[in-house]
Amino acid sequence: MIGKPEWFKRRKYGGWGVTPKTWQGYVYVIIMILPLILMQIFLDLTIQMKILINTLYLGVIFLDLMHIMITLKKDEREYKIEAISERNASWAMIIVLLVGILYQSTMLGLNGTGSIDLFLVAALIIGMLSKSISNIFLERKSL
Amino acid sequence: MKTRIKEFRARHNLTQDDLAKKVGVRRETIVFLEKGKYNPSLKLAYDVAKVLKTSIDELFIFE
Repeated sequence: MIGKPEWFKRRKYGGWGVTPKTWQGYVYVIIMILPLILMQIFLDLTIQMKILINTLYLGVIFLDLMHIMITLKKDEREYKIEAISERNASWAMIIVLLVGILYQSTMLGLNGTGSIDLFLVAALIIGMLSKSISNIFLERKSL
Repeated sequence: MKTRIKEFRARHNLTQDDLAKKVGVRRETIVFLEKGKYNPSLKLAYDVAKVLKTSIDELFIFE
């Protein structure tokens, strides 16, 4: 992989992911973003081709960032803080998803118009499955 | 919870950063430990006690 975890720190405020910690981290961000911008300006390709190249390139960046996030060293206090903040974020998202589904189903029932967004339902189901799988593995693991 | 980490650390002439590196945590964790604002795992408590050549009982005072 390209980026090194020691160049980054966990993003605590304003979202998820990592944020540069050292100058190498900032250089990494510039080097990874620059080709994307240059490709848009200088590569004379069809829109479909540009979309394909951009998707592949962003996929590589995404995989590299995932690798950095997974290998980023955290001590036990950071693990606890992250676990609690992620749990709170999950609950906030679950509440919004439920309110969304409830609103859509109410509108559908009252007016007979509109529909329930399947992505909202899928998010809840996948979240539930993810929790169940995590519990199965964590119950067996020595923590 | 009170701790005597600062006292023992001074005896061994170790900085917070030195101790953090020896037990594999961030310096902030040592700061919070010394202030008694973080309950460490048994492993971390044991590691800190080992580095400071003392026992967990000596290091952590539960009130």
